[in-house]
Amino acid sequence: MTSEYLKIALKNLRSRSLRSWLTILGIVIGIFLVISLLSLSEGLKKSVMNELQMMGGDMVMVFPGDVSDMMTLMMGGVELDNRDIEAIRRAEGVEVVLEMPFSAVIARHFQETETAMIYGIDLNEGLYVLRENVGWDVVDGSFPRSGRREVMVGNLVPKNIFPDLVVGDSIVIKGKEFFVTGILRSLGNQQDDSAIALDLEDFRDVTGKREGTPVAMAKVKAGYDPDLVAENIERELESSVIKRRNEDSPAFSVMTSETVTDMVASIMGVLQAAVIAFASIAIVVGGIGIMNTMYTSVKERTKEIGILKAVGARRKHIIAIFLFEAGIIGLIGGVGGVSLGILLAFLAETILSGSGGMFYLEAHISVWLVLFGLAFSFIVGCLSGFFPAKQAAKLEPVDALRYE
Amino acid sequence: MEKIIELQDVSKTYFLGKIKVEVLKGITLGINKKDFALILGPSGSGKSTLLNMVSCLDIPTSGKIKLEGKDVSKLSEDELAEVRGKKIGFVFQQFNLLTHLTALENVIIPTIFQGIPKEEREKRARDLLSSVGLQERMDHRPKELSGGECQRVAIARSLANNPEIIVADEPTGNIDSKTGEMIMNILKDLNEKGRTIIVVTHDTELQKFANKIIKIKDGEIDDK
Repeated sequence: MTSEYLKIALKNLRSRSLRSWLTILGIVIGIFLVISLLSLSEGLKKSVMNELQMMGGDMVMVFPGDVSDMMTLMMGGVELDNRDIEAIRRAEGVEVVLEMPFSAVIARHFQETETAMIYGIDLNEGLYVLRENVGWDVVDGSFPRSGRREVMVGNLVPKNIFPDLVVGDSIVIKGKEFFVTGILRSLGNQQDDSAIALDLEDFRDVTGKREGTPVAMAKVKAGYDPDLVAENIERELESSVIKRRNEDSPAFSVMTSETVTDMVASIMGVLQAAVIAFASIAIVVGGIGIMNTMYTSVKERTKEIGILKAVGARRKHIIAIFLFEAGIIGLIGGVGGVSLGILLAFLAETILSGSGGMFYLEAHISVWLVLFGLAFSFIVGCLSGFFPAKQAAKLEPVDALRYE
Repeated sequence: MEKIIELQDVSKTYFLGKIKVEVLKGITLGINKKDFALILGPSGSGKSTLLNMVSCLDIPTSGKIKLEGKDVSKLSEDELAEVRGKKIGFVFQQFNLLTHLTALENVIIPTIFQGIPKEEREKRARDLLSSVGLQERMDHRPKELSGGECQRVAIARSLANNPEIIVADEPTGNIDSKTGEMIMNILKDLNEKGRTIIVVTHDTELQKFANKIIKIKDGEIDDK
């Protein structure tokens, strides 16, 4: 039976193709927004969370600036200087402090010149923290050693930046030659996996910046509570700044890895809720479009409804025919919207990662998201078609037949 | 003879705004099984309303209608639809075919609502179209067919669920007299094969096909 209604509904849609397509377009736009925005925000969330989860529990992160001011934090400009680092090191319960400055440079591998991200880590003091607490490992070669101009590269460097780069090759940065001793296992996001890790000394040398880092990580000594150590760090930073600059409200954000994770998760949650809310508006508008089309259709087809009723159609049959029609409009819109949404998400991904890995956004499209998009559009269609269908079913056969 | 349709004192009243219009004023009549009945009357006589009553398209304001002995005058709309689908075939003056469907699909439509299996539906529709001489035109849409062909599709459709009764509302009204003659002969033929035929018309010429004439005037049976 169902297939017959489907066929009738399809024929009806085809006989009014322009209007059908315009109505479908309304749904396409709504679903398209939902899918593209959700896949991008989900991708963003995933890559951030991935990175955070690699960090062990006994790490404390220090950012300059107030963390409520996300833009300042992300866009940088504000950095921790050497005296800030010293203050952190002084705090009770801190075993070691890691600076992680990064920068974009021009790098050359044989004849090939590319823009690449480099970052500095203290190979003597800091590398073991990354290996033990953050889970860094090499998939090929070995970790570099300090003072020998050795570097390691993210696992995407040989794939995306310098194809056919192998362990043992050299990379030239600002006229200085470095030897690649190892390739890192994926760190969970493309930005880090596309970067080159230098010894902090070499990094300072190459960039010419003697101090400053946008973020520092402190490893908590065994037996200390990370939350208490975070408070200690905060206190040390405060007193150091008040002494030096005579400012009374120094702006630092000191967070344990747990707080960072929670905060990011909640920010992402709000972001996704906002995305869904805005996209829903577009879908509601699309649904109103379907309803409008269906009401017009009922009016136009009054006589047809009369004929169907005369030859034995009951209310439920008429409702089924109109609901199918509305549902199909929704579903076709959903297919179009999902396809366009995926396309846009990948386009955005490609364009952004084309900027040399400076900004990276991964589109995360799950089967669930696709199914959700399709089911949602079908349901919106059916809901929008419900009242028009009821109106159609209510028509008296005698009146409907007389209608011209 | 066994009565297939019986009307007892059937009245139908409409309200046009606040004005009461009595279209049928206590009609009593009976139509026998295998009758070829002609409901004859000028326009405005109430004959179409009477047809709506005998064909279960509408229910009376008062009075009783029996179809094969069963009272149908108080049935709900869905129950009426069920009765129409099973027992009554319709042929209209305007053909009333679905314009976006082919002749074959038009004939299949009534069988869908009766839940007849797909293969049988199609076979039946093909056979019926062949029986009215349209085997070559099955895949054409109504606008590609002549008036006479459309009316033959409509007759085929009216037979789709193998009903006892065929009700035709001015079946020759929209076609030329020669084609009209052919349509009436098809109906006559169906009558001879055992079906009850009820034709509503203002055309007195059609009396020759019928064995029972019901004249109606101003909402009443005209006995003169």
